[in-house]
Amino acid sequence: MIRLEKVSYSYPDGTPALKNINLDIKKGEFVGVIGKNGSGKSTLALLLSGLLRPQTGRVMVRGMDTCDPSKLKGIRKFVGIVFQNPETQFVGRTVEEDLAFGPENLCLPPVEIRKCVDMALAETELEKYRHRSPKTLSGGQRQCVALAGVLAMRPECLIFDEVSSMLDPESGMAVLETIKKLHKKGKTIVYITHNLEELHDADRILVMEKGRIRLDGDPESVFSDTFLQSLGLALPSLTELAEKLRMHGVTIPWEKTSSPQNFAEEICRLFLKT
Amino acid sequence: MPIILENVSFSYSRKTPLETPALRNINLRIEKGEFVGILGEKGAGKSTLTKLFNGLLKPETGKILVDGLDPSSKEVKRKIGMVFQQAADQLFCKTVYQEIAFGPLNFGCSKRETEERVYEAIEAVSLDLTVLTRDPFSLSGGEMQRVAIASALALRPDYLVLDEPITGLDPAGKKEILEALKKIKEKGTAVITVTHNLKGFFPLLETIVLIKEGKIAFQGSRESYLEKGCIPLPPIASMIKELRARGLPVNPATFTVEDALEEILKLKSAFEKENNRN
Repeated sequence: MIRLEKVSYSYPDGTPALKNINLDIKKGEFVGVIGKNGSGKSTLALLLSGLLRPQTGRVMVRGMDTCDPSKLKGIRKFVGIVFQNPETQFVGRTVEEDLAFGPENLCLPPVEIRKCVDMALAETELEKYRHRSPKTLSGGQRQCVALAGVLAMRPECLIFDEVSSMLDPESGMAVLETIKKLHKKGKTIVYITHNLEELHDADRILVMEKGRIRLDGDPESVFSDTFLQSLGLALPSLTELAEKLRMHGVTIPWEKTSSPQNFAEEICRLFLKT
Repeated sequence: MPIILENVSFSYSRKTPLETPALRNINLRIEKGEFVGILGEKGAGKSTLTKLFNGLLKPETGKILVDGLDPSSKEVKRKIGMVFQQAADQLFCKTVYQEIAFGPLNFGCSKRETEERVYEAIEAVSLDLTVLTRDPFSLSGGEMQRVAIASALALRPDYLVLDEPITGLDPAGKKEILEALKKIKEKGTAVITVTHNLKGFFPLLETIVLIKEGKIAFQGSRESYLEKGCIPLPPIASMIKELRARGLPVNPATFTVEDALEEILKLKSAFEKENNRN
């Protein structure tokens, strides 16, 4: 689907951002990416979406080399990216206009554009804001507009760069739920975050440090890896609690750490007299 | 003396087709020295509320008094220190020293007094003195946020109002800010913060104000917030609530992983004792 072969990238001032990355993202995968500030997560996102080109190595998006200018339109159609700060990607006066911008640039006929916009509005539940200016919406709503703007181009792969970091947990969850629904419909998702809590259900998690992928595995193995803790990344409270309980001889199975309800259920099963 | 809001309403773009109501009939009282968390979903009106405290926004109807004064008076600007969500937005000087000294100098403090206040503020947020000569924009996100807080503290405010002070910071940066705010509160300054980060803030909050669609949905102590079963709750508190609902005797005031561990281990030993007896 998207493949990185020996990819390195340095900023214009020479600071290396990514070092010799090999990565294969498969169709339909939900890949979580986590790491501290400056670990290279955002650079990875920009390379995956073809917005940055590698200085060494190759990035192939469904067989298209991102360094080949003639493939650019095909790549844009295929991969969409949503950023942390939605403001950076607004262009239209109203939500509707903003959503139409992408499909217009793909030169779709007007009827088709309208369909794309309506579908994107429905998927993000933004219908009632279609005539509002994105500027008059709250932070969370704006993030949804940014997501809808990308959805309107009907990409098969979506990349999210810390989209929830400026939202309240409920709206963060709501955005994540929307993203999970898109995943169920078959979209490939790359989800970058600070918040491990959001990656409990991911198919695969990449942990980045200093421009390298240091861990690559399923959530259960990644969460319990001591390397993660040495990086100072905060574990979700319930995972941390389960980890501490384990040291005291109480084992909480991984699936029970997914929600407070499940966790409490397990504690009751263990310690409530029947 | 407290901050008092009586029947306050506010709309954006008033008397235009884009008029958007933000707050309706807010009655609120915030005492000096409290640690208050303002919670609510996106677009609920939390940030709008804080901007009313010091006159950045004027209420459409209703009355606001800060220690008996009108929020637009100069005295209130000194009494209330504001820190906005993006610290970088409110930093503009060449050095951290100039940044923190800006407020006191504008309020007519002498150079000597200003210097005293800069050192006091930098200490309050536990920043190293060596940052004073640095460019604020060369600092990390957490450090920048602490400079923004120090700038507000340099006016020796009675109320420190913050909008999402730990959003977007990494875990270490979050911890630094939480510790600084705890210390500031202990010295007697009221800390009023808009936050979504219940996991970080819940152990510190004394009073909670929950805003829903422009109205106050809950206002009271953290304990009554738990009792009434309000949401949102941080994961640990939520799990503890579930345990209590299922009849397990755990302390409802359990907010941290360490406390929860202790509570569960108590359950474990009680259970084992019971088993041994049988």
